Amino acid sequence: MAGMAGGAYLAGFAVNRFTGGRNDSLLRLSTYLAIPLVVVGVLLLIFELGNPIRFWHLFTQFDVTSPMSMGTWILMAWVIVAMIMIVSWWLQNRVSQEAADSLAGLRGPLSIVSAVLAAALITYTGVLLAVSSQSLWSGTVLLPTLFVISAVSTGVAVLILAALALNAIAEGNMAGLKGALNFIFGSAEWKTSKEMVLKLAETDAIIIVLEIIAMVGFVIWLVTSTSGSDALAVLISGSMAAPFWVGVVLLALLIPFGLDLTIRGKAIEAKGVLMTITTSSLCVIIGGLILRWVITSGGQL
Amino acid sequence: MAEKAFLYDATRCTACRGCQTACNQWNENDEEIPTVENGVDAKNTGSYENPPELSPQTWVKIRFAEVERNNKLSWLFTRLACMHCAEASCANVCPTNAISHLEDGFVLIDQDWCIGCGYCVQACPYGVPHKDEHTGTARKCTSCIDRRDNGYEPACIKACPPNALLYDDRSTLLALGRQRVQALKDAGMSKANLYGENELGGLNVLYVLDDSPEVYGLPAEPKLATGNSIGQWIGGLLTAGLITALPFWFIFKRKNQIAAGELNEGGAN
Repeated sequence: MAGMAGGAYLAGFAVNRFTGGRNDSLLRLSTYLAIPLVVVGVLLLIFELGNPIRFWHLFTQFDVTSPMSMGTWILMAWVIVAMIMIVSWWLQNRVSQEAADSLAGLRGPLSIVSAVLAAALITYTGVLLAVSSQSLWSGTVLLPTLFVISAVSTGVAVLILAALALNAIAEGNMAGLKGALNFIFGSAEWKTSKEMVLKLAETDAIIIVLEIIAMVGFVIWLVTSTSGSDALAVLISGSMAAPFWVGVVLLALLIPFGLDLTIRGKAIEAKGVLMTITTSSLCVIIGGLILRWVITSGGQL
Repeated sequence: MAEKAFLYDATRCTACRGCQTACNQWNENDEEIPTVENGVDAKNTGSYENPPELSPQTWVKIRFAEVERNNKLSWLFTRLACMHCAEASCANVCPTNAISHLEDGFVLIDQDWCIGCGYCVQACPYGVPHKDEHTGTARKCTSCIDRRDNGYEPACIKACPPNALLYDDRSTLLALGRQRVQALKDAGMSKANLYGENELGGLNVLYVLDDSPEVYGLPAEPKLATGNSIGQWIGGLLTAGLITALPFWFIFKRKNQIAAGELNEGGAN
């Protein structure tokens, strides 16, 4: 959840940066999307604790040797910065032009701070597992790498689906919902162009290729290490084999990559392209969640 | 305060498991009878070892190993419990600092401060702490801090009939352990060794073994969970930077530049 959120934010941030700030609305969408994802993720983490009421003990320590302690602070810092950004967007059209300009000026550096925190956020989930005595997690240094790539891949997919959903609302006949979105976003500009959706899908295809490479590296590294090969066997041929091959290899990696290949070079208006992008993004998200589950549960067997 | 330790002599242990019972009694840990109703699928494991694993209620147990050495079957016993490592993975990863070292070197989980995240359970190279679903905390050997504070020996030490388990200053026990290992070597056991002298910065539970640690099911080179955390952070952060930069740069900047370039060339022709 937190990984997906951080990934979505980083995607919005990167697109806005590389287009010279012309996609502020996509950055806004990604931030609006990421905050509830992070909050739900954090609530789930708290309820997983043996003593959820004691969660505040986490905020009494700043312990650099504990990835969980670092994760606590990273999550909190990111949510605070992202909330400030949200407020600045919300106020944008509600204040004078002068104030709006200074708000936009403030958002530039804030978005960079937020991006650094988001990078730390998607890294921490992998480091949390890697810093342990379970050989599936600690046997390589590629687990954080794999998790980071999957975070951005699922983040882009969530962003695509959210953009498509908002566009559907904009084109539909739902005045009440539109009004609510206008209010939440602080402006009526929350549609994403179809070309942008196509480009995001193309980007995700590249990220998936990198994810496949990282996964192959992860597997080879473990196979060639003494303790890691036993741990890996749980995934490849053991009790987690079905979710690994179907959920991770097919759903998270090969199917979305294949689907993205079929629309290569096609225009967004072409028949079936939108459907293919939607299916591919759904596979990436479900597969990405299965990837986390397989690695997390598989490491404890 | 002088550093304290336990010394376990595997060659003296008779596997009576008095230590297990004394530990459970003193710490008021009810042994969960392994039945399906209690959530344990009781199976015959082909061993007298019981219970099969450490648990939130079992903080010390004797592990059995059957090994063939010099064409003879040996039935070996080891003590499995918290090793009270100087470089303790559990204490390093604990996000609330509920796990800490006592002045005399033993490692204690503060039951009033532990939030039950379970991180120590995954981090311990010996698989010692276990999360207790009833208390919602991680639990393990306390080194009988409540007994020791009142001038008593730990319960397991007190109960051990053959004196295979001793409690004293660590330096005293190191000297004693080395002496015992030498005696075993003199008696022809060339692989005899003192486990715990240097592992993980020095364990506060020392083992006299007459064979290599692996034979007894102990890791010869236990690793600190946080040993490579900087490498893991760097690997992840580098990837995060690259993955945010390269694919997006290629699709959103480079391709636009190429498209613009093609247009220019087209114009020149």
